[in-house]
Amino acid sequence: MNVSRWVKRLVPVLLSVVLLLTACSAAPSKYDQVQQETTGFNAEKAVNRQAEKGGTFNQFFPGSQGSYEVVPAQEKQGFAEYKLKRDGETLAMLAISDTLSLPAAAAKYEGATEAIAGYPAVNQGDTATSLLVNGRYQVKVLSRSPSFTQADREAWLQKFDLLGLAQLDAASMLQKSPAASEPVVQDTPAPATPEPSSPTAPVLVPQPAV
Amino acid sequence: MSKKIYEVVDRLPKGGLTVMALRSLDTFVPGQWDNLVGFDNTIRAVTGETNEAMVTAVGERAVALFNDRSQGYQRALWLYESVDAASGLLGAAAIANRIGQDTFLSFLKNVTPKPEKAQTIDLCVKLVTEVVAFCQINGIPGDSLGDFLKALGDYGQESLMRMAALVAFDGVIPLGADFSSKALAAIKGMGPSELEKNQTFKGVEKEIPGKDAKGKLAFITESFEATQGWMDRFVSDRGITQEGLVENLSQFVEGSKSKLDYLGAFLDISVKYYEHTGVQTLARRLIERAVAEL
Repeated sequence: MNVSRWVKRLVPVLLSVVLLLTACSAAPSKYDQVQQETTGFNAEKAVNRQAEKGGTFNQFFPGSQGSYEVVPAQEKQGFAEYKLKRDGETLAMLAISDTLSLPAAAAKYEGATEAIAGYPAVNQGDTATSLLVNGRYQVKVLSRSPSFTQADREAWLQKFDLLGLAQLDAASMLQKSPAASEPVVQDTPAPATPEPSSPTAPVLVPQPAV
Repeated sequence: MSKKIYEVVDRLPKGGLTVMALRSLDTFVPGQWDNLVGFDNTIRAVTGETNEAMVTAVGERAVALFNDRSQGYQRALWLYESVDAASGLLGAAAIANRIGQDTFLSFLKNVTPKPEKAQTIDLCVKLVTEVVAFCQINGIPGDSLGDFLKALGDYGQESLMRMAALVAFDGVIPLGADFSSKALAAIKGMGPSELEKNQTFKGVEKEIPGKDAKGKLAFITESFEATQGWMDRFVSDRGITQEGLVENLSQFVEGSKSKLDYLGAFLDISVKYYEHTGVQTLARRLIERAVAEL
């Protein structure tokens, strides 16, 4: 009898504890799915191991010119980014990325109706304009100041050494694309430490963006 | 289990001691820091995007990049969290030492370092943590001191605030205006075994470049020596003084004016400025990369 009375008293207490614990756990998030997909033993990596070294891209960025300053920001595998500054203000970010890590980034150019310097180009959201070189290397300019317009982004995209970037190996991308008609030189990897193509090419010193 | 970066950023406090302490520095670094919290909120602020589908796409890529261990972001988060946690322990040790002096429990002096030496090591290890975390986040070798020094001149927002807090809370307040030369002299006169006993060092030592404690001590010394000029200029250019800092802090840390060593220890224990601003820097870098790669 005593025991059953104790159990009866304990039930509400236990229920309260359970409810409290449930309430304390994090609310579901729209990022839970991607979290699950990108963690764990067999999770797909965000960066393809064959992606070009970020350092290789440095030589293709425009250098500082006039009152514009091009300042290094990040260098990671398959990615390099610079800040475009004037009078201390960050006007835009300039980036090159290898879409080998993110094929969807390259796929968006399939329906591109515009071209910049002969390369398929797209606008993304309100702040980004980009083009695709070799079906693989994405060159993007992102406004950080309202004064930096789409026309400015298009102008700065053309200041990159796009022809130089087009010399980089596109083999691994083309291997996946049966539609590619160009001959593929599969045994010629991009040089690990290429010579700068221009004496004005900035030297990479990664810095946090301001 | 991996940490969820979106939860870490969502849980950054909007107020509390850490935020109040950082805001107290606004006089010296005006307009640099606005305590940006919340993952989506940070995405909107960093990218200027208002389209929710785009914000989510950027967030998803940022989460994936953070979860790819090879990219160094998780290590940077660990460094920022660990150095604050370890220095909190140091604060506790400093208080124990002070109690030892006040209450004549002299045995305490044998098990805890003197506050000034403890603060000196804390300052040096935190500085090196910034160098290593910077390299991890930006993708350069962990001992690229030269790159760090060049970047320091362009530090802004929460990164500059973190350095301001380092100089103020771990330099000027506990050690005085000549904190940098005091710290350098102390670290140069220190042996590897002394360093190995330090809690803050123990907290992050596995990520500090150098094959053993001797090598790590050399890297710490080299880093501090190289950064000393920047720190001293920062203090003089911005008119940072012990009195000014304490005046600002005393507005919310009652009775701290006359107890400077307690104030230093109190800040160590209760203010997690490295973790707070470190998470903000990490989120910003992740988001900048994610939006550029999409």
